[in-house]
Amino acid sequence: MAKKQRGKASSSSKTVDIEKPAESFTLSLESSDDEAPEEVTFEDSKAEALRSMKQALDTARREKQLLKERRRKRQELFQEQKKRKLLSADVLEQIDSASSKKQKLSEDEGEQEEKPEKEEGDGKKKKKKKRSGKLANARNLKGKYTVTTVKERTLASFQQQVAEEFIRSRLYGPGTCRTTNNEMLSLQNKKGWNKSAAVQFVKKDWASKEKAKAEKLKKRWLHKQQLPSC
Amino acid sequence: MGEFKVHRVRFFDYMPSAIRTMAFNSQTERLAVARADGAVEIFNFNDNFFQEKVIPGQDGRATEALCWVGHRLFSAGLNGEITEYDLENLRPQYTVDAYGGPIWTISSNSQGTQLAVGCEDGTVKIFAILEERIQFQRNLNRHKGRIISLCWHPSSAQIAAGMTDMITIFDAETGHATRRLLVDRAMGASKNKEVVVWSVGYLSDHTIISGDSAGKVQIWNGLTGTLVRTYLVTKWDVLVLSVSKDESSVIAGTSEGTVIQFQFISSTMDQHDKEWVRTRTFRNHSHDVSALAHTDTAVVSGGMDTQLVVRPLLDKVEKNTQESALRKIAFPHRSLVGCAKKAGLLLFQFPDRLELWKLGESEGHGKPGDRLPVKRKPEKLIELKRKGEDHICCSALSACGGWLAYSTVSSVRLYRIQYNNTISINKVSKLPKELRSVHQLCFSSDSSKLFASSCQSSVIVVAVSQQECRYLHTLKHKTGSRQPVHLLCASDDGKWLATANTDCEIHIYNLHKMKLHCMVPVYNSCPTTIAIHPVTNNLISVHADQQIFEFSLVQKEYTQWSRRLQAQGLLSLWLERDTPITHITFNPKNPDHIILHDTYMFCIIDQSLPFPELNAVLWNQMTLKSLPVSQRIGQSHAFKICKSFQHLMCVSLLEDLSLVVVERPLLDIMSQLPAPVRQKKFAT
Repeated sequence: MAKKQRGKASSSSKTVDIEKPAESFTLSLESSDDEAPEEVTFEDSKAEALRSMKQALDTARREKQLLKERRRKRQELFQEQKKRKLLSADVLEQIDSASSKKQKLSEDEGEQEEKPEKEEGDGKKKKKKKRSGKLANARNLKGKYTVTTVKERTLASFQQQVAEEFIRSRLYGPGTCRTTNNEMLSLQNKKGWNKSAAVQFVKKDWASKEKAKAEKLKKRWLHKQQLPSC
Repeated sequence: MGEFKVHRVRFFDYMPSAIRTMAFNSQTERLAVARADGAVEIFNFNDNFFQEKVIPGQDGRATEALCWVGHRLFSAGLNGEITEYDLENLRPQYTVDAYGGPIWTISSNSQGTQLAVGCEDGTVKIFAILEERIQFQRNLNRHKGRIISLCWHPSSAQIAAGMTDMITIFDAETGHATRRLLVDRAMGASKNKEVVVWSVGYLSDHTIISGDSAGKVQIWNGLTGTLVRTYLVTKWDVLVLSVSKDESSVIAGTSEGTVIQFQFISSTMDQHDKEWVRTRTFRNHSHDVSALAHTDTAVVSGGMDTQLVVRPLLDKVEKNTQESALRKIAFPHRSLVGCAKKAGLLLFQFPDRLELWKLGESEGHGKPGDRLPVKRKPEKLIELKRKGEDHICCSALSACGGWLAYSTVSSVRLYRIQYNNTISINKVSKLPKELRSVHQLCFSSDSSKLFASSCQSSVIVVAVSQQECRYLHTLKHKTGSRQPVHLLCASDDGKWLATANTDCEIHIYNLHKMKLHCMVPVYNSCPTTIAIHPVTNNLISVHADQQIFEFSLVQKEYTQWSRRLQAQGLLSLWLERDTPITHITFNPKNPDHIILHDTYMFCIIDQSLPFPELNAVLWNQMTLKSLPVSQRIGQSHAFKICKSFQHLMCVSLLEDLSLVVVERPLLDIMSQLPAPVRQKKFAT
């Protein structure tokens, strides 16, 4: 047994090895535990290991390539979609040039408008009309108008509103069990030492017309009462 | 004594603003309180909790956090700016934009060299505190989610920041997050709702205490990042925490209005196994508690019900003394009502507008206690909205009702009012350029001059007339005090002007010579109101510790009456009142009378009557009424107190000898507060 163990690799044993596994499957039921374990030679196992490594590398490479292909295809698809979305190139050029021109014109107009605003005089309207004649593409806005700077806090105040909304929703939003001041004060009245009625908040502007009518009637009645006395 | 017709005024819709945050400075014993409208108030804890200074608010400031660094006060708000306040001129000194979005919290390290702010965009920004400004140093690592609260470790090496669902510990040197403590969400139905860590505290033994929106107070070991103990104290949020200076006690404020104290004590006699134990619960508020301060002897709390409550801890103060009493400060310690005595007009000062009302008239006579029918109802003549973002700091109405002035931190405005068939109000443009940052305004009694107190306790005198407003003179004093003037009053004959500043100095100026006349000897308590008697030209001053002094301006010394009062001493019931006297007025018919009021009573002091003995009853009006007239002389004393009108904002005497009492019942204020939590109580 010890002589057979390692090192001795003969072709016969190889073939025997190849066949043996097949045999061992069919004979598995019949074989007993007394049989010696199969002998796998060193070279065999080395070859086996190399093969499996190569396979693994191959599969990895294949996967990478597949992924690349997929990515490339997706990128192309996006490019196509983008192209479809945008208008054709020449239309874009036209619009671009037109908008830049308009911007320049409106800026000029703005500057010139500010200057006459600062002066105070009757020649304002005349000056505006003159300028509108020079710039052919400018729109002619009629009537008096003033130019003011926009407050630069719009973005900041939006963030502030979001933050305030966060606090408000955490403390008073849905899910927080809140009640009214009326109920709280009424409960205090109910549980206090001197138990009294629930608190009613009076709406001051309720039935204002009726109250005014009642006032007038009262005055009239008082006046009538005083008449026979004097 | 006298019968007065009383105009009982309840149409002043004064609505205080909720307390958002507070900070206590233990070196100077001052408490800074920030309100929801951006106003900052400074209370002096050494001087009977007197409200020394008020810095008016601003639209959009939305202060969320306050921080003292030495004697400097910083605040940060949802407008993204850090503001340093100039406490001598009662205005913001400068603002620095942190560029991180809304700022939720601000805290300084124990050395006072760095300031950390927690921003909406998830960064903690460190600013270096320099001599006259702060400068941005660096950002710590940015995290997803807003930083709601933060706290420095006493060694200034780490910062604990509370966010949504977790607490992160940053290394202050490198800026990296070293530990992340995950906070559990609430049990039951709100598992889907994120938990917000509203407040954190960092102790020197690396214990972290956190209060969150699930109602838990949790104690963590900051070195290992593990949870030591959880206390579920409420069903609602734990909004704020405060750690005492010796780190043995922590208080937590909740949305229910309770304040819960935890103490680091041991359950056995030997001191070895100390742990954090929940000890006391204080229920002094009806609405959410959003601000807390833990001083050495007391727990100070404030919240949505706008009242500031000081609760001394009974193991630190002696029981049953004035020191151990619960103090509730609900009304401002200054007068917001101006009265034109000759014209019967009232001016109400709100932060965003002024209202001018004409008092109604009644007819007929009646016995004391009767209600007279109202012939003409009071009517609102003018409602004047302020211009700009700054809130109104002070206002004044002349005695004849023809001139109205108000000031904000940036400007002063003067208006002329004419009463023909219709009311017309015209703004006086082109005011002198010296009238800039004004703290107090006062008209002379003949409405020809306007006095305005400005920086360094100086007073600017300006002549007002139909045509123009002309600068006359600046009155300066010689003590070198830079504190602002909070009281200003002119005498009826136009000769004297008295000013009082928060350094407890009272200066008298002679207006005929336009220079300083004298200074009243300094008393160590701040004066809460001063007035000059029209006939005797004596200055009456009442101080925050309820002492009364009378000083003769002509002779430059205290009067005999004042010396006798000091020798006798005021009754303890008078000295233990907890609201200061905010207004003094006099009776034109009887020069012996001085009429004072605080929030709960008004009192007529008769200088011709003897002072009460030490064992006498202070409130003896009811007993005197029951006695026959002949016996009353024996029992009556100088202090005649009436408590029938409650929550007084102003008591004044008009020229026709009718009393005007402006009341603001607390119930009316409470009915307009935001919603409280719903508490299910047994048998309701």
